[in-house]
Amino acid sequence: MSKLPDPIREGLQRGWKVRGGPHGAAPETLSCDVAIIGSGAGAGITAELLTRAGLSVVIVEEGPLKSSSDFRQRESDAYPQLYQESAGRKTEDKAITILQGRCVGGSTTVNWTSSFRTPPTTLGYWAQHFGLADYTPEALEPYFEQAERRLSISSWQMPPNENNELLRSGAVKLGIPVESIRRNVRGCWNLGSCGMGCPTNAKQSMLVTTIPAALDQGATLMVQTRAEHLEMAAGKVQALSCVGVLPNGALAGDAQRTRITARHYVLAGGAINSPAVLLRSKAPDPHGRLGGRTFLHPVVMTAAVMEQRVEGWAGAPQSLCTDHYLGTQPIDGPMGFKIEAPPLHPLILATTMPGMGQAQADLLRQFPHTHVLLALLRDGFHEQAPGGRVKLRSDGSPVLDYPLTGFVMEGARRALLAMAEIQFAGGARQVLPVHERGELYTTWAQAKAGIEQLPMQPLLAKVVSAHVMGGCGLAASEKQGVVRPDGVHWQVENLSVHDGSLFPTSVGANPQLSIYGIVNRLAQGLVQRLTGSAPQILA
Amino acid sequence: MQRRTLLKLGLVSGTVLALAGGAAALLQPGLVQGRLTEAGRALFMGVGRAILQGTLPQDAAAQQQALAAMADRVDTLAQNLPPHVQAELSQLVGLLGSSAGRLALAGLANGWLEAAPAEVAAALDGMRYSRLQVRRQAYQALHEIVGGAYFSDESTWAVVGYPGPQDI
Repeated sequence: MSKLPDPIREGLQRGWKVRGGPHGAAPETLSCDVAIIGSGAGAGITAELLTRAGLSVVIVEEGPLKSSSDFRQRESDAYPQLYQESAGRKTEDKAITILQGRCVGGSTTVNWTSSFRTPPTTLGYWAQHFGLADYTPEALEPYFEQAERRLSISSWQMPPNENNELLRSGAVKLGIPVESIRRNVRGCWNLGSCGMGCPTNAKQSMLVTTIPAALDQGATLMVQTRAEHLEMAAGKVQALSCVGVLPNGALAGDAQRTRITARHYVLAGGAINSPAVLLRSKAPDPHGRLGGRTFLHPVVMTAAVMEQRVEGWAGAPQSLCTDHYLGTQPIDGPMGFKIEAPPLHPLILATTMPGMGQAQADLLRQFPHTHVLLALLRDGFHEQAPGGRVKLRSDGSPVLDYPLTGFVMEGARRALLAMAEIQFAGGARQVLPVHERGELYTTWAQAKAGIEQLPMQPLLAKVVSAHVMGGCGLAASEKQGVVRPDGVHWQVENLSVHDGSLFPTSVGANPQLSIYGIVNRLAQGLVQRLTGSAPQILA
Repeated sequence: MQRRTLLKLGLVSGTVLALAGGAAALLQPGLVQGRLTEAGRALFMGVGRAILQGTLPQDAAAQQQALAAMADRVDTLAQNLPPHVQAELSQLVGLLGSSAGRLALAGLANGWLEAAPAEVAAALDGMRYSRLQVRRQAYQALHEIVGGAYFSDESTWAVVGYPGPQDI
């Protein structure tokens, strides 16, 4: 257990209003100015701005409140406590594993700190295809800048760890440019445990920034409480109906129900979950957009065995990347991809590496010498990469149907080739495409021939995702989206969506800063409309 | 008959695990109140012995102990899953824990613990590379649960050279 100060436990002792789970039963009814569903990137920014403006806020989070004292840097703690479905959330056909947060702070509590503004090419596509004329880099600039200042987003000053350095050295040998990734950290210890919750509170997640700010301003936080549905009547939300859940999401036998009434409702439960709330609420959807165009940045990986020790568990994850392959073809052409070097820990490595028996044992024994690259495939910019659709199971829980089209898998093959080439250029002794038919190739020529022959089928090629986007898309026309450019639902006037489900395509970069910046603008607009006065900015 | 039913469903349905067990899985769930049944425990110990061959301790008694501890951790893992995943896992384990289901889905005649490890490995390989999505889904689920449960415990880290997190 961390012996460092824990600002969350201190806040609880100061008398923060936190209810649900171990924090005491929630009341049967609550009323406030704004009810916010979720506590991740979009919810946190919104909560801070609204409470600074003097509005009363209730935040509803399905996951638990865990903090640095709980973060023991162990996968066995983190996955069941902090992730959706114990870090094993799957698409409907089980072909893609989705890492998504489920705790106070949402995915920001467990992400790897990579911070990128929304790429101008992506914004240009949104303007052209979804009429989002005011989503220009210039118009968003001040909102990104405020979020960056608030969350200490800046260049990483330490040398990259070996896992990232190998991306740089391999790429440079091939003449491929590499850029450094900005990170939202303050006083980072360079441990490499970001994905298990930051034990030193260096990561400037919503858990340690905006949510505490909102609680200090008097917001109420309900944890282990599911937003079941919005009660709709006369084109407006009348109330939010919630229920207490056990840590695994099951209803408790004596489940506490809470009905929250508010002037305005902000849905920020994250992609997949936000559209699910609207589906359960039978929200109007005259053009059949709700839940559709849900994107994942499908990820494929290659693993290399290096001569030297890599120790992929140590040091800041993802401090370098290359966008080279996003620009080698038009944005709406064959799929582009972004390459990064993820952190490695034993549980996720053993479940991700293909194969079994002696072959897998031999591979896992090379763990200290293992270098992994991943490619994020930029989905949503081509008709053959239309993303997936969120549906409800009979118990009301959401499931994402995301077909891996031949077009997507062709991009995945090019990504495997590109990563293997970089790894051999960086001195790899062997490279394995993470695929059930993949082999440990010993030369680039061999790898190229092998990867070109791999059957790129779901459940043979390993595909994962840590970026869920879309499903409540922004559009300037109600025919094209769920939400107006100001974040308000096209058909429900007192309901806004403030999270990654807004994006009309994938972002083409790790999405946290896109959510912070864009929601910062939407939430300031909401404050203006609710209070009639100019908002205070994030502080 | 069951094999044919499975194959048919496998061809038409991506969510066939929810259907394929049919009455058999309903009669014999693999999880009871989120805990593995005896048949479920045998399944994971048998599958674990094949998947983790080369990683497990070589000494027979130590190996048995490691597999039993892994099965305990599968129990814990299952209890932490949300109800809809528990239900799916229960069906998969129920199906594979029955002799008819084991034969149909894995093509394994002998029980998971009675079969030679090489037979179990061959059966798993058959699922892993199958043209039927449902069999690949089942393999992936077993592989993920076994690897996840095994390496979630600190005692298993030394063999892969992981020193554990820094003390802070």
